[in-house]
Amino acid sequence: MVERTPILDIVSQVLLFLGLLTSLLPMSVIVIAATHDIWTVNQVPMPLIPGHDFWKNVTEAWIRADLGPKILNSIVFALGVAAGKVSIAALSAFSIVYFRYRGKMVVFWLIFITLMLPLEVRIVPTYAVAANALSPYQTILDLTGITWLVHQATGVQIALKWGLLNSYTGLILPLIATATGTFLYRQYFLTLPDELTEAARMDGAGAIRFFFDVIIPLSRTNMAALGTIMFVWAWNQYLWPLLVTTDAAHGTAVTQLKELIPQHFGIPDWNVAMAGTLIVMLPPLIVVILMQRWFVRGIVATEK
Amino acid sequence: MEKRALFSNKWLGVALITPQILLVFTFFYWPTGQALFWAFTLERPWGGGNEWVGLHNFASMLGDPVYWASVAKSMVFAFATTGFGMGLALVLAILADRELRGFRVYRTVLVWPYAIAAPALGLAFRFILAPQAGFMAFLNHVWPGSWDPVLNGLDAMIAIIIAYVWKSIGYNFIFFLAALQAIPKSLIEAAAMDGSGILRRIKDIQVPLLTPTIFFLIVINLTDSFTDSFGIVDIMTQGGPARATELMVYKIFFDGFKGLDYSGAAAQSIILMLLVIVLTFFQFRYVERRVHYK
Amino acid sequence: MKRYLLGTAALSTAAGAAALLALAMPAMAGGKTKIDFWYGNSGHISEVVQQVCKNFNDSQQDYTIVCTSQGSYAAAVQNTIAAYRAGQQPTIVQVFDVGTLDLMLSDAYYPASKLMADEGYKVDWNNYLPGIRGYYATSKGEMYSFPFNSSTALLYWNKDAFQKIGKTAAPATWEEAAEDMKALKAAGYACPFGFDITADESWQFLEQFSAVNNEPLATKDNGYGGLDAELVFNKTKFVKYITDLKSWYDQGLAVIKDEQAGQDMVAAFASGDCQMILTSVGDHGTVGSTAKPGMNWSVAMLPVYEGVKRHSSLVGGASLWVLAGKSPEEYKAAAAFLNFIAQPEQALFWSTNTGYIPVTKTGYDYMVSHGFYDDPKYKGREIAIASLTASDELSATHGTRMGGFLQIRNEVANGWQAIFANKVSVQEGIDGMVERGNAILRRFEATYKGKQLP
Repeated sequence: MVERTPILDIVSQVLLFLGLLTSLLPMSVIVIAATHDIWTVNQVPMPLIPGHDFWKNVTEAWIRADLGPKILNSIVFALGVAAGKVSIAALSAFSIVYFRYRGKMVVFWLIFITLMLPLEVRIVPTYAVAANALSPYQTILDLTGITWLVHQATGVQIALKWGLLNSYTGLILPLIATATGTFLYRQYFLTLPDELTEAARMDGAGAIRFFFDVIIPLSRTNMAALGTIMFVWAWNQYLWPLLVTTDAAHGTAVTQLKELIPQHFGIPDWNVAMAGTLIVMLPPLIVVILMQRWFVRGIVATEK
Repeated sequence: MEKRALFSNKWLGVALITPQILLVFTFFYWPTGQALFWAFTLERPWGGGNEWVGLHNFASMLGDPVYWASVAKSMVFAFATTGFGMGLALVLAILADRELRGFRVYRTVLVWPYAIAAPALGLAFRFILAPQAGFMAFLNHVWPGSWDPVLNGLDAMIAIIIAYVWKSIGYNFIFFLAALQAIPKSLIEAAAMDGSGILRRIKDIQVPLLTPTIFFLIVINLTDSFTDSFGIVDIMTQGGPARATELMVYKIFFDGFKGLDYSGAAAQSIILMLLVIVLTFFQFRYVERRVHYK
Repeated sequence: MKRYLLGTAALSTAAGAAALLALAMPAMAGGKTKIDFWYGNSGHISEVVQQVCKNFNDSQQDYTIVCTSQGSYAAAVQNTIAAYRAGQQPTIVQVFDVGTLDLMLSDAYYPASKLMADEGYKVDWNNYLPGIRGYYATSKGEMYSFPFNSSTALLYWNKDAFQKIGKTAAPATWEEAAEDMKALKAAGYACPFGFDITADESWQFLEQFSAVNNEPLATKDNGYGGLDAELVFNKTKFVKYITDLKSWYDQGLAVIKDEQAGQDMVAAFASGDCQMILTSVGDHGTVGSTAKPGMNWSVAMLPVYEGVKRHSSLVGGASLWVLAGKSPEEYKAAAAFLNFIAQPEQALFWSTNTGYIPVTKTGYDYMVSHGFYDDPKYKGREIAIASLTASDELSATHGTRMGGFLQIRNEVANGWQAIFANKVSVQEGIDGMVERGNAILRRFEATYKGKQLP
């Protein structure tokens, strides 16, 4: 970018182009599959010359999976998760990096460990919590005898209940906790020079103002990256949305997509399934394109 | 790692972290605690009885050589996917950061693989890696029998590693690129003025400034490849042939989610979590020393 | 005692604006009783299930059934367990064959026979085809669930290829099949017999094979007699079968075709690449819609070994269970729905739109009288019924009632994958399957200590 380096530029272009091809290859298989009719898509090997049924397949997938409203649901859901994760991670990392209190590292590890057990293995008790998000606290009150004490003293029976099934809250809230985000911000905040904090304090700015006026603007690029990844991650979630939205009308695009995937003994209409995949993939791809606008070269020197 | 300049308001710090703590307690630790308790019992999936068996589940698992083989396979998979996924992404990110012609297209398209939905990923790779029909059929045409993931365990392992790496490059790429963008232009220009070439600048300026991100990605990639890889195995190989791709987390998924052996899955989960915690601990203890935060 | 609902506000600050966007629960439309039905089918079959539900809703005024696909059989069971334990279970759930025993040993269901009697429906349980009844009934002959999507395995053969070797009928025995494979190979066909060695194929290579050849899989009547059954298929004709299969494979007469190789066996048959495969009657429609234009093909019963009296083949698929803990109105609705789908007209609708077979005699007769099996599109599917009723007496393997059977199938797959990769001998491989399978059975037995099989 600074000087002319023709040979290196050519090598770079070739490598990037190879990367581009590798990225697009599996996707092109999907696109081609979506253009075939059912007979052609099941040929081995599948012909790589596109067929003529693209619009037919797309229309059928759109109607059969009722994708219009489901994509809207998914957008609310994925935006909610991405926004929630980006903000809660920033707050947590700010607390961990910029404050001193006992148990800080324990807290960091507690957050980190949440990465280590997939939902599939803890689905039964997790669903119970979604059915009543306050059930852990009820149990604690019951076990500690507080429920009993309150009942004896006032005649009031404590019954905490907050059902999350079939709600956006239930879809979004349990997925907002994020170890990845907290860790990412921690790494970034640690690179910010201490002088920034000292200067802010000299100006009389408190922690909150420092966070909003200095930290947030500096973190824009990281936020864009994290937000994009989290949007895509949430978009592709399957098991949780399927469980909490028992009412089909509130399903997400990806849960609907799974319903298009042919099963043994069914008609193997992979052409329609792949057309559906393309439609469902589109919003994440657009988010990735939009994200580029937030990638702005850093201006503050982070070194001394 | 500790900053010199900190805010003194302890309670504000605690308040800022409280929402996250409430979330992880309610939606992770409370249910997970119950699920992991089953490791010490024989839990009936529909409820109605769970017999306390102490460490029996662990004993029968750890006494099985098949289990240890799956630990070894998980290690191979985790280190291979982390190494290739990060290495390739780093090279591509540094190149894309140079803002050569068409860089906006590269930046976008190289992230796209992360956005692909799982069933489509399986289908596409089945097509690409199929020995009798797909692109790999060509390889078999030139060297017959060289690629056979159906019966050759090593080939099957390579197939799931390729698919996993392909998807993870997009993830790693975006974070590398974000970190590279944060390096001020002035710094690079100053170094260029001093006469250091591009490769030199990459080595002396960019990579050291990337170490916080590299560390972040190593930890996340290793953790994810241990705990989040069951989907790809399920779509592509189901742990076969003859257990060659039976990763620890796939076995947990298979026994617990599909096979309804909650107690066995819980015991395996505890071992897997301990393994990943120890690995992560060592990384924070020893690898983080080499990270340049300033 | 007063009960107060507290705390809704307490946490909602953490939830932020998202908390305000709660979706409304579906209303009870016009005083109708609404029940949920969760199932595991996906793709086109899921659409047919939805159509069945719609037909039921349109057929009467009192009940509404809401049917939800959970994407796969395993997810349908798992999600239902999660919901059941939180008190949010659907009224009806579809459970696949290998998930049956855990539910049967729990208190979570309302037995089908009892439900229908309680709700005043007279059901002739003997109307279910014997092969299906033998599979789903308890050891005392009671039906606890409703057979729903059912199939059995058949031999698919390419008539054109067989004509080239001068034959007009499919092989009835494995000895004959072996000769045919050699002749087909000699006639220039690269894949006389296509097969697959994934875990799902345990159903036909182990379970169906043992049923038609009257060989046991395990002691205690294959587990129907108690949880202490032990696998014995390392001492049956199954060993000979795998030995033969391996030798056909080594001679290039049998070729492995699976998805990972780019082409599964059904596709390999439909494209004319393989001349014989064994697969479910459920694939009849798939072959029909994807076969090479002009290809002549048909189906036949599974071959048996020479000298064996053919027994009925097994049913595969899933059945419908009614869960405990619902209200009387919901049970009324459930019984009405289950009665609806048991009608012969529904059998015709179901089999016309999927590859599954009718489960009752009246359903089958109704389809015959409506000329279903004369339609060239469906011709041959009656062989599935013939196969399920091939013998009067129950075979040694009329079904499997063993816990952890999904894991056992996985052990079977691991074993024969090692055999076909030449890592172990056939006998060693099968001994390994049995040994590890028995460990799974003992673990299941310990989990249900003190429980009696109904």
